Amino acid sequence: MGAHGKAALRRMTGAALYTGLAVFALLQLFPLLWLVDFSLVRSGELFGPRILEIPHPVQWINFFRAWHDGHIPQYFLNSVIIVGGSVVGATVLSFCAAYATSRMVWKLRVAVYNVMLLGMIIPIHTTLLPNFVWFRLFGLYDTRIGLMIPYVAFNLAFNTLMFSGVMRGLPRSIEESAYLDGAGMPVLLAMVVAPMVVPGIVTVTIMTFLSGWNEFIMANTFLATESLRTLPFAVIRFAGEYSSDYAVQFACMTLVAVPPIVLYFLFNRWIMAGVTAGAVKG
Amino acid sequence: MHSVSRGMRTVFTNRAAIAALTIPALAVMLFAIVAPIALSVYYSFTSWSGFGKLTFVGFRNYRELILADSTFWRSLANAGLLALVTVLVQNPIAFLLAVALSKIGRSRLFRTIYFVPAILPVVVITKLWVGIFNPNYGLLNKVLQGLGLRGFQLAWLSDPATALWSLIFVMIWYGFGWALLFYYSGLMTMSREVEEAAIIDGVSRLQLYTRVVIPYIFPVVQAVLIIAVVSSLKQMEVIYLSTNGAPGDTTQFVANYLYLKAFSYGEYGYGSAISVVFVAVALLVTAATRRMTSRDPGVD
Repeated sequence: MGAHGKAALRRMTGAALYTGLAVFALLQLFPLLWLVDFSLVRSGELFGPRILEIPHPVQWINFFRAWHDGHIPQYFLNSVIIVGGSVVGATVLSFCAAYATSRMVWKLRVAVYNVMLLGMIIPIHTTLLPNFVWFRLFGLYDTRIGLMIPYVAFNLAFNTLMFSGVMRGLPRSIEESAYLDGAGMPVLLAMVVAPMVVPGIVTVTIMTFLSGWNEFIMANTFLATESLRTLPFAVIRFAGEYSSDYAVQFACMTLVAVPPIVLYFLFNRWIMAGVTAGAVKG
Repeated sequence: MHSVSRGMRTVFTNRAAIAALTIPALAVMLFAIVAPIALSVYYSFTSWSGFGKLTFVGFRNYRELILADSTFWRSLANAGLLALVTVLVQNPIAFLLAVALSKIGRSRLFRTIYFVPAILPVVVITKLWVGIFNPNYGLLNKVLQGLGLRGFQLAWLSDPATALWSLIFVMIWYGFGWALLFYYSGLMTMSREVEEAAIIDGVSRLQLYTRVVIPYIFPVVQAVLIIAVVSSLKQMEVIYLSTNGAPGDTTQFVANYLYLKAFSYGEYGYGSAISVVFVAVALLVTAATRRMTSRDPGVD
């Protein structure tokens, strides 16, 4: 084969590569496109023969009704409170535990570190039944804090792993000089260690946020009061009450999908870093 | 720790500090993960509805579960099938696409797209696919009609012949972004020099992957395989929000089954026995997958 043929072959492989990648990209995206498209038309149009429908005109009313009848502001606020609280808890606790198990010197540190990672192996679902009973004993059933506690617990494993990975690479000398300057442990952690692991903190914060924001089954089990429920319940509500009003239901699902999508595009780099850490160290 | 000076040593071995840093996290773990599992063991020996009177029944729940409960075994078999499809179909595709991405210049856009479903709430994903599979207005049947395949238009989630495969497809689709990014990030840790050195040594393109690349990123392959198997076992929300195990028990999965038993049938004790067996299976499968995949003479 001449140089000419080789170049042509390379172009063809390149084209095949891009085609394959594009086919799978379409497979991942098209269902979402379908969802958004039919949230913008009239409900009845979903029963037409077309795969996608051009809105004429765009039915913003669907979104208005989803927002209003889906109690989205209330659910949204609940999600912010519950997930926000668990992000703070899971980040601070895992930061401290990771520091103690990866930078300090004591006999049980490996054992404690391994216990911290249990949350990655134990399925969440096996705690649903017992916690339903257990939380009632402490008055935690059907409270916001009662949902925050397991959210924190199940995020500790990944977060500790992530923080340990970052902290192990830190040079000792900086901590030493801070200590010689008379810094105590709290100051050392907050003013010296934390600033050095900011990327880790960002990744942990976002990963914890996303996992809590998207969580459904614990919220479904540990919350019973309508006014405490989190954002995914807006979708459930529509699936039941408005089961024939598909366009509003689709609009509701689109609205619920917006916050994680926005976060994803804003913090893409940090989320990728979290996923990578999971792959390399998991 | 040789570089630690004497003064620092006292700081880093300070027991009060260690306790203050680890006890809060351990307490939360103990309260929300360890204690409930111990509690499950206790309730698994009872016949109880979750409220009111509780009677001890010894090993009866376990006997029934292991010896006579075909739904339980069905659930495990379904998880096994999902694991198999994940490992044999999803993972190879994800790996090949990751290789393709590592070869092209601008892969960021593609990576971003592939991961979009993975960051969406499971409620949205599941209800979306319930819509796609709907026999009256669903996207899938419309596509089939467009292709002239009217005969293949089915009630995907209520037909016993297609329900399980439809849900397996959804779970594979949902998890695809994770597998792809894991492989991609593994491939990115490999330096160009390693690859070039192998090519200079005269290995073929295929050999480059079977002999050099895969052994090099083997820890990642191992992690992805373990995650694939364990997460197959852990599936619940997609099932709970779509078929809830129906038709019959054809789409049942363990986690959904224990939930159904406890909260729909009021058999809390029996559900707890499923929980306990589930924890044991999850630990066992994790250990077994780790052992099986690490026997490979990988480079570490």
